[in-house]
Amino acid sequence: MADFSTTHRTVQSIHIIDLNGYLDAHTAPILEKEIGALVEQGMNAIIVNFRGLDYISSAGLGVFMVFIEQIRDRGGDIKLAAMTEKVFTVFDLLGFPMLFDITDTEDDAIVKFTAATT
Amino acid sequence: MNTPATHTATMQVRASLSELASVRAFVEQNAVDAGFPEATVFQISLAVDEACSNVIRHAYKENPGMKFSLLISRSANDFTISILDDAESFDPTNMPPPDMNKYFAEFRHGGLGVHIIKKVMDFVTYIPADEKHPHNELRLVKNLLYVS
Repeated sequence: MADFSTTHRTVQSIHIIDLNGYLDAHTAPILEKEIGALVEQGMNAIIVNFRGLDYISSAGLGVFMVFIEQIRDRGGDIKLAAMTEKVFTVFDLLGFPMLFDITDTEDDAIVKFTAATT
Repeated sequence: MNTPATHTATMQVRASLSELASVRAFVEQNAVDAGFPEATVFQISLAVDEACSNVIRHAYKENPGMKFSLLISRSANDFTISILDDAESFDPTNMPPPDMNKYFAEFRHGGLGVHIIKKVMDFVTYIPADEKHPHNELRLVKNLLYVS
């Protein structure tokens, strides 16, 4: 299946997930499983880098809703970074920027995490 | 006002979520051909994806043995995508819009597809199957009059 993939990195103890391709009802379960595993391992600082993501539907938005409460309840966050304008319009359409910390760049998200812990 | 369709295209879709990428490609090609700008092509593709996701998941329970159809028609005024299915009738246009403040406060997920469709399309209508209509039809319309 080539229409969606992720890569995982760690920067300054922050887990970064790079998204590539198309996040729809077919591919969203892949990401849900991956974030679910991180949350279960106790990971509290997650940045999702959207730079390589070409498309998102409501099923993709739903993945972040599944975990945000649990991770914030224990003092962590999932920050969303580097969205293309098209992908941001889908978040913006329904007011998701009210709930999620969406930053222009990955570095901005890293700074927010490190500022919060110092 | 209805004007005669000048162009039509159809696609048969298996009730499998793996079909969504092909659905979007089909819709995008037709929307580009109709002259819509890229941002509008994206919106139309998103709306049809949401509508088909609902049909595949809720109407056909992801049974890949079942099929439904997309019909795209273009008149001087309108670009119309009809999603035609033979499952139990369900009118999504009757669903009230969600209270997003409550939605976020309660960390809900799911159930936003219809809301997205209504936000990005100009008209959304549902015609349940009956003696006159052989299929349930969800009709999504984008106005072509303002396309330069």
